[in-house]
Order: sequence, then structure tokens, then C-alpha cells
Amino acid sequence: MMTLPRRTLLGSAAGLIAAPALAQPKWPNRPVQMLCPWAAGGGTDAVARILAALLEKDLGQPFNVVNRTGGSGVVGHTAIAQAAPDGYTIGTITSEICMLHWQGLTELTYRNYTPLGLMNSDAPGIQVNASAPYQDVKSLADAIKASAPGKLKASGTGQGGIWHLALAGWLNAMGLKADHVRWVPTNGAAPAMQDLVAGGLDFTTCSVPEARAMLDAGRARSLAVMAPARIGAFPNIPTLKEAMGVDYAVGAIRVVAAPAGLPADLVAAIAPALKRAYDTKEYQDFMNSRGFGLVYGDAAGAEKALAAADLSLGNAMKAAGLAKA
Amino acid sequence: MQLSDRVTGAVLIALGGAAAIFGARLPAVPGQDVGPAAFPMLIGGGLALCGGLIAFGIGHSFEVPEEGDDPAPPGSLHLGRLRPLIPTALLFFYVLAVERLGFLPTAAVVVLLAAIALGARLRLAIPLAIIAPLCVHLAFYKLLRVPLPAGILPAPW
Amino acid sequence: MHDLLEAFRLVAAPDVLVAILASAIYGLVVGSLPGLSATMATALLVPVTFWLSPIAAIATIITASAMAIFSGDIPGCLLRIPGTPASAAYTDEAYAMTRKGQAEMALGAGLWFSAIGGIVGTLSLVLMAPLLAEMALSFSTYEYFWLAFLGLMCATLVARSSPIKAIASMLLGLLISCIGMENPAGTPRFTFGLTDLLGGIEPIPALVGVFAVSEVMRAMVTAEPPKLPKRKFGSILANQWMLTKKYQWPMWRGNIIGIIIGVLPGAGADMAAWVSYAMSKRFSKEPEKFGTGHPEGLVEAGASNNASLASGWVPSLLFGIPGDTITAIAIGVLYMKGLNPGPTLFTERASSMYALYIIFIIANIIMIPLGIMMIRAASVILRAPRAGVMPVIILLCAVGSYATGNNLFAVVLVGLFGMLGFVMEKNGYPVAALVLGIVMGSMVEQSFITSLIKSDGDVMPFFERPVSAVLAALTFSALLWPVGVWIWNRIRHPRLPAGGATG
Repeated sequence: MMTLPRRTLLGSAAGLIAAPALAQPKWPNRPVQMLCPWAAGGGTDAVARILAALLEKDLGQPFNVVNRTGGSGVVGHTAIAQAAPDGYTIGTITSEICMLHWQGLTELTYRNYTPLGLMNSDAPGIQVNASAPYQDVKSLADAIKASAPGKLKASGTGQGGIWHLALAGWLNAMGLKADHVRWVPTNGAAPAMQDLVAGGLDFTTCSVPEARAMLDAGRARSLAVMAPARIGAFPNIPTLKEAMGVDYAVGAIRVVAAPAGLPADLVAAIAPALKRAYDTKEYQDFMNSRGFGLVYGDAAGAEKALAAADLSLGNAMKAAGLAKA
Repeated sequence: MQLSDRVTGAVLIALGGAAAIFGARLPAVPGQDVGPAAFPMLIGGGLALCGGLIAFGIGHSFEVPEEGDDPAPPGSLHLGRLRPLIPTALLFFYVLAVERLGFLPTAAVVVLLAAIALGARLRLAIPLAIIAPLCVHLAFYKLLRVPLPAGILPAPW
Repeated sequence: MHDLLEAFRLVAAPDVLVAILASAIYGLVVGSLPGLSATMATALLVPVTFWLSPIAAIATIITASAMAIFSGDIPGCLLRIPGTPASAAYTDEAYAMTRKGQAEMALGAGLWFSAIGGIVGTLSLVLMAPLLAEMALSFSTYEYFWLAFLGLMCATLVARSSPIKAIASMLLGLLISCIGMENPAGTPRFTFGLTDLLGGIEPIPALVGVFAVSEVMRAMVTAEPPKLPKRKFGSILANQWMLTKKYQWPMWRGNIIGIIIGVLPGAGADMAAWVSYAMSKRFSKEPEKFGTGHPEGLVEAGASNNASLASGWVPSLLFGIPGDTITAIAIGVLYMKGLNPGPTLFTERASSMYALYIIFIIANIIMIPLGIMMIRAASVILRAPRAGVMPVIILLCAVGSYATGNNLFAVVLVGLFGMLGFVMEKNGYPVAALVLGIVMGSMVEQSFITSLIKSDGDVMPFFERPVSAVLAALTFSALLWPVGVWIWNRIRHPRLPAGGATG
């Protein structure tokens, strides 16, 4: 072997001494907690669990989903924002974080987080009773325009919930006032669909997966989705743009995030892992079987989606008279 | 503590009144004619009405006389009238201490104090205070994956 | 036929059978520990189901919840601490039987009639699911309002003490249910700026507090009750056949009421138990015995709440509409495992459907031997020193209420409700009515407000719709019952001595 020049030897010796100091333990080297602000068995919980399982397989450390419920999501979102930004506590945040501060219920906004990946976006659909005369969304829209304000009734979630805002935004986009259709608040999509089928409502604006059982049973019909593109699991439902030319889209998004201030190298470790999890067949199959929207955004894309949601939901809330801030 | 019907009735009237007044202040919501104020006002009114009836002894005739329980013999931790507050105090202690001290020490303290307060001899209280937290921790942390804080004395598993 | 055979094959798989057995024991144990609840038990199973095959996963949920609803009767009977809100309806009755030395009859009745109720409920699911579903779908918010109101009025019918105090307790429970922003308006009420109160007060911490913690508090100031003589815990099933023959009609009434109430989403085992217990007292030939340790109420209510559990799966399986928290969790698991609720479950996945039915029946059958073992194990408590049992109960209360949402605030609530329950009981206010108010409050308000929105402020639909009218009539008669009795008494005995009353 050739003798190496002294400089190189010294250099490599220095490198060898410095290496242990520079080489931090690779993330993750102990279990990671994944906080979910919503209850076990729900949609966000399901997405969190499958992601946790896939990450665990990929990275070799346990990823434990912990439900931190309470305060209509505020408790869990607060817990994620206040955790130490060391990569060992992450969580699934949802569109609610873009709505709660407008109502004055918390100081938190999406800026209190380091978004790591947009994993899912569910768009609202427009569902009518199977025996309703509207065969497409244009005829429903005409009926709405022709009706007196407050005559028609719609539902899909509670007052000020995301589907309510979706309706408000759609009415606005059509040039109508946000409360032209009376919103009947319910505890979630299931009671709304039940009431629709029982004849108590004119239409619902909850997401299609939430309405799926009724759709499959032939009791209800979905006329359109307020999404930029058709949903993979429901290819027969046109988008609003296709069906009536109104370019309005909104989505309930789920983003995996860490507390603000996460170091860049950790972001660089986690975000690609999320992309790999998204691309797996298991994730795709799972989302498709439930009908959840497969939409991905990397860290920057997730942040953009959150910012856009914050703006559009804020506008819808102001239009509907729900914003306090 | 046994209070007279007048007192409990008066408390109910006050509570009902407060509920109605604060409820009436809640702002109405666009799109709903009957707002969030309706229910608190209705219930508050009903409570105040019941409180009035109770304070005046109406409906008393239906009451079945309660069987009295024998008072406790003097045991350890004489605190007299404050004794019933011990369980709640222990629960509050749990809430305050468990994140710092960890589950095992906090639980041990809670069990130990409760047992002594109920008159258990140390021969029973101390082993119980050691074994019970360990069993509960095993069941919840290991089996059910509930994150119990480790604190200063983490469990061996 | 082929589907049915396939279903048997699916169920006979070793992992499914092991899952059934393990979750049965899990459900029994968790349900019977004071401070822990059936809802918590089911919620904590979700991570476990992730690793199981679809049939095994749903089998664990079915079995664990069915067992836990029954075993919630055990601590209620032995310690006066009900394990679930459903058991709260008849805890006092069962405990009175224990004090009379008839604990095994009380628990046996709970076990036997729960199993019968579960099996009858399952049969209704199997044979009448579409019919029941039609009925459920025809119930709109107007009917729900009267149903919820009727459920609340049952608090007055079963009150041992002054019905006015029972109504006051119930109203207090309703007031507590107003806390939070989970109301039709989405406006935070009575939250005093606390984030933790935004979601309102969950019934389970309240239940655990007013029953378990206040019982421990009572233990602090009363002497230990004399130990029951150390005799062998008699056969648990011995008297059940006799009871079945004697109370046939109440049993069937309980089954039917349970099935009907269970099918309606939102109305679950809690309401079924209350309504059945009240009906039992109302239609009994010996109403004065209720509250002194009389098994008739236990027969009807025990059958009812398990029947409602089984029929509650009808809207869940057919339409994905949850009947209560437990079925909401179950629906989530069904979706996660690809067994999407809806007609496809009955057509394309029929063998899976039949497998679920078979699991229901198996669960209710093995409830009997396992339940007997659990009861015997639990009866050891009756002989253990109180100073050893109560501290463990406090610990379980703390951990149990923390476990579901990983939120320490729940433990604070348990402590506060303990104090409230203690004061209430001391002054003759029944705490079971308080819990009922908390459980039912949001249903009453929700159905009332949404009905008004839909009818544009018109109250006539509340009385015009046929089913509404019937329910309204029942509700008013339940409400005016104690008033009527009081007036009747005054008429019959016009001159009462001051301060006293004759009955």
C-alpha cells in the first residue's frame, strides 16, 4: 500500500476522532408516539393507525398511536403543538386546526406545527334521497336558487363543522348567501344520512365515504363531489366543475405533523418515510376500501394545503357568520 | 353531610337561577331560531321550581326513611368531618403528582393512604401498596398499551 | 346454505376461537372492575384488533362488549358500584338483595336473563333485520325527542324517595350535559374558559365518580357492615328456572322493549334498562316490593339491556349508523377490516355476516359458564376486608378514567363527581337519575332543536305525527303519574296531621 501523505493521515485521524461526536444516534432509536386528537375507531384514528404500522415496519421502531381526545380536538392538537420537537412525538392534525382559531376557541393555528406530509383529503359530496327528483347537481342547484331563503334544509355535521362550511362556500360560489339553505346540525354524518333517508332533509354535504352505506343500499344518491378531481373509489360521481361549471373544491385534510421547530434533518428523515408509507399497497388498498381520498403532499405541499385551507375555511366561516376572530 | 331540605332546596334555586341567567346571555346562532340559550333557561327554571318545592317540603310524603349506617369507629387518620374528602383528595393528588413522580410511586402512595385511612393495619396496607400498583401497571401498560408515566421509578418491563 | 357452512368454517378457525375466549374473559374482568367500563374496554381493544384477521377482530369487539355489559352488574350488586350506566338503573335493587343474603339470586338473574336477552336480540337481528331497519329509518327527530323525554321520565317512576328530588337530580344531570360545545348551536356553554370542558362531560367519569368514589367516601365514615356469614356461595342458576316461569311476561316485555330501543340509533342499553325497569315497576303486581330487594325488575331490565345490545347492531351493520359509542367503535373496526357495513355485507360477504351472527350466539352462550366463574371469583370480594378493596377501587377509578382519552382531566372530574354524589345521596337525591340526565341530555336537546329547525319553528309536528303522538301521550302520563298519585292521596285523606303523611 502506498504511504498516504501526512496531511491525509492527519485529516482522516481528525475525522475519526470527530466522527463519534458528529454521529448522533439515527432517528428513530426508541419508540415514537403518534398523537391522535380524535377517538378510537374514527377515520383519523384509522389513518393514524395504519400509518403507524407502516412506519414501524419501515423504520424498525414502535410507533404508538395515542388518542388524546377532548375539547372537540383542541386537547389533542394542543398536545402535539406543545410536545418537544425531537421527533419522538408526532401526530395527525386535521382541518379543524384551521377552523378552531377563527371561532376563538384556541390560539393555535397551523403555524404551530411542522407539517411533514399530507396523507389524505376527503371532499364533500352532495347527496340526495334516492326518491328525490334531482338527477344531477345542476337541477338541485336550480331548485336551490329558485327556493326562498331558508326553505331547503341540508346537513352533514354539526354547526360550523367542515361540511357546513363546504355548503356555505358552495352557495357563495353560486352567488347566493351562505345561509340560503338552512343548516340542520347533527352529531356527525351518520345521523344526517339517516335523516336524509327518512325524508327529513333535502340534501347532505358530508363526504362520500361517510354516506357510502346508504348509497350502496340504494337509499341515497350522490350527485357531485366538491373536489378538483373524481375520487378513485367512486369514479361515477362527477366533480362540481364537470357537472355545473362551478369551480369550487374543499377538502377535509389529514396531515402528519410535528411541533413547530423540528430540526431540518429530522424533517428530512420523517417526510420521505411518510411518502414511502403512502406509496405502499397496504395504504392504497386501505384508503380505497374505505373510500378515503388518496391525496399526497410532501412537507412543503402539506404546509401549502394547510395555508390554503386556513384561508378558504376562514372565508367560509366569515360568510356564514361563524367567525369571531 | 346531611343538610336540611331547606338548604338543598335553596341551593337548587340558586343553581337553577344562575343557569337560567347565564344561559340567557348566550348569543343566538344564525340559522337557528331556538338558540343555545333555550335549554339552560328551561332546565334552570325547572331546577329552581323543584328547589322551591323541596324547600317547602312538598313531596316529602313519598320519602322512604333512609336506613342509618353506624358511624365509623375511631381509626387512624383522625380527620373527623374531613374524612369523606380523602378519596377525592387522593385523586387530585394523583392528577398533580403522576406526571412528575411516575405511576408506580403515585399509585403506591394513594393505595397506602387510602388503606390506612380505612383502618387497615400496616401489615395489609404496605404489601397492598406495592402489589396493586404493579398489577394495574402490568395490565394497563403492557397489555392494553396505555401510556402510564414512568417518572422517577419506571417499571422493570 | 353454502354461505352458512362457510361461516361455520370461518368461525371455527383457531385464531377466532381463541379471540372469542380471550376477549370474553377480558370483557368480563374489565366490566366487573369498579372504575372501568364497557366503553373503555372496547376502545382499548382497537389497537389489538389491528393485528387480527377480520373475523377475529370483530369477534373480540362483539364478545367483549356483550360480556362487559353483563359483568357491569356484578360490582353493582356486590358493592353498589355499577360497572356501566345501564346497570345503574337497578343497582340499588340488586344491592338490596345482596344485603338480604340473596346475592346469588340477583347475580344469577342478571346472568341468566342477560343471556336470554342477548340470544333473543340476536334472533331479532337475524330474522328481522330489514324490518327493524325500516322502523329505525322511519323514526325522525320528532319521535326521538319524545323517546328521549320518556326515557328521562322513567327516573320519576322508579324513585324510591321523593319523585321531586328524582326530577331535580335528573334536571341537574341535564344541566351538566349542557356544558361544552357539543350542542346544536356549536356554541361553548358553561366552559369557564377551560379547554377540557369544550367537549362536555362524558357520562363514564360521572358514573364512576358518583357511584364508585362516593361509595369509598361513604366507607370512610361508616363502620364496616357485618360480614355475611361464611357460607358457600349457593348455586347461581338454581332459582332461575323458577324465576323464568314466574316472570315470563316481564321477561318478554323486557326483550321486546330492549330490541325496539336498541334498534334506534342513539338509544342504547342505558335507556333500555331504565325504561324496562320503570315498566316493570309500573306493571308489576307487587310494586311496593321494588327497591327492597325484588328480582322482578332485574329480570326485565337485565333482559332488556342485553337485547338492546344485540339489536343495536342492526343499524350498524345495515347502514353504518352507530347506536352508541361501542357500536361506533365496532363500525370503525368493521371498516378497517374491509367488512364495510351496508348491503354488500349481506350480499357479497354473506358468509362473514353469518359468521357474525354465529359469534353473537356463541358469546351469549359462553356468557353463562364464564359468568358463573366470574361471579364466584367476584364473590370473594364480599369476604375481603373493606380496607383492602376500597384503595384498589380508587386506583382503578383513576387509571380507568384516564385510559380512554389519556386525559388527566377525566380523573379530576371523577373526584368532583364523587363529592357531588356523596352529598346528593346523603340528602336523598338519587344519583342514578343524575347519570341518566347526563346520558340523555344531548339527545333531548339535539332532537328538539333540529326538529324545530326542520319544521321552521312549528311545534305541531311534535303532536301530529302518529308515532310522536303515542310517545307524547306515554311521556305525559309518566310525568303526571306522581302528581296524580299525590292528588289521589290528598283526596282520599283530606286531613293530614301536620308534618306527616299516610300512604
